[in-house]
Amino acid sequence: MTKTGMIDFRGVNKWFGALNVLRDITLSVEPREVVVVCGPSGSGKSTLIRCINGLETIRDGDLVVDGQRLGDPATNMTRLRTEIGFVFQSFNLYPHKTALENVTLAPIHVRKIPRTEAEQAGRELLAKVGLADKVDAYPAQLSGGQQQRVAIARCLGMRPKIMLFDEPTSALDPEMISEVLDVMVAVAEEGMTMMVVTHEMGFARKVAQRAVFMDAGAIVESGTPEEFFSAPKTDRSRAFLSKILRH
Amino acid sequence: MIWQQLQSLAGSYPLALRGLGMTVVLSLISLVLGTLLGFGLGILRTGGNRLISAAIGAWVDLIRGTPFLVQIFLIFFILPELGIELDAFTAGIIALTNLAACFICEIVAAGIRSVPTGQVEAALASGLSRWQRMRQVVLPQAMRIVLPPLVGQYVLLIKDSSVVSAIGLTDLTRVGWLVVQRVPNGLLVFFLVGLGYFIVCYPLIMLARRLEQRMGAAHGEVQL
Repeated sequence: MTKTGMIDFRGVNKWFGALNVLRDITLSVEPREVVVVCGPSGSGKSTLIRCINGLETIRDGDLVVDGQRLGDPATNMTRLRTEIGFVFQSFNLYPHKTALENVTLAPIHVRKIPRTEAEQAGRELLAKVGLADKVDAYPAQLSGGQQQRVAIARCLGMRPKIMLFDEPTSALDPEMISEVLDVMVAVAEEGMTMMVVTHEMGFARKVAQRAVFMDAGAIVESGTPEEFFSAPKTDRSRAFLSKILRH
Repeated sequence: MIWQQLQSLAGSYPLALRGLGMTVVLSLISLVLGTLLGFGLGILRTGGNRLISAAIGAWVDLIRGTPFLVQIFLIFFILPELGIELDAFTAGIIALTNLAACFICEIVAAGIRSVPTGQVEAALASGLSRWQRMRQVVLPQAMRIVLPPLVGQYVLLIKDSSVVSAIGLTDLTRVGWLVVQRVPNGLLVFFLVGLGYFIVCYPLIMLARRLEQRMGAAHGEVQL
């Protein structure tokens, strides 16, 4: 494999003790590409994207992100992380800081952007995710959907090259899912490189170029969302889809 | 008659004030130093380095598991044998600071461990350095857990400072011992000594209680 993507997994393996959570993963994500990762719980999909920004470390194989090889002594992980936004299932907003402070913390302290400038940009980002009136609210005063939108704005504040989403709508009440997905669609349409762990088929069909299906730590199937969701090729993906689509 | 006995103690008033002053100064200095050192140790204790963490843990256990009187004797009488001359005041400060730091270290470490992993991961993911994560994300949240027991610990440490009288420092307790040799009613003397400690400690006890209530309320409110 000679071409280099924005994110390049080459024969990556990872174990938790005796458990082989990632099995020989080879996957390349191009710049501006949106890839949706789905699969049953415990299939390793969260672990997969957590490796990309070093929240998990890999045991063997190569993982190259934005031209830098992870685990290489020459790679400054803290610096690389500033180029990668990560949206958590449970939001993980800082509870002691307001929405605006959540968004401006890293730009001020990591990017060293002057406070007034960062706050200006932060307000614009919060307005963009539809929360112009919640700038001074604390996370506890916001609904789940609002918190997740602040979390996305917090990532965008760093102007990342890559955005990773770890089941961003799984902890939300159903009526709040679309407000978060709308924001994600807008981010995708601006040309962000994205990997999204989700089972939201509508989102996948709308913006993703590729859907990847994982089971037991391995990538079982990969194709366009259209192909994957309407005509899955393997028994395992068929069985999985019949479970999540039954209702 | 109690009035007469109090009058007989009136002459000891300047000495008592000096003792109270010594207790307050000794406590204040060692609590400030102990708090700074305790936070540093607590942060290192929960940091990534296992060796450092284990070394601090062993020292904290040793200090918490031995009587303060023994520690202060060791510092005051053994260190000079090794060529380190200490006056009683410095020895008292060192012993109390060390004791305070060890207890505060464990309080701070417990507070830091109480901060959800997701908070650290979020800070990590946005590229904050180790110190920025601690300063901006972890410590402010840990303080909710740390503050009430910290102030409570201050009260205990102020009372423990009475042990420095054993190496001849004229603190409130030692003043009690001196005065009681001159007057008939020892019970009254130590009642007054106790009152002196209580006057210093009571505001802190009240503060600890208020903090506990406030933090308890905040805890329910700040929920993810």
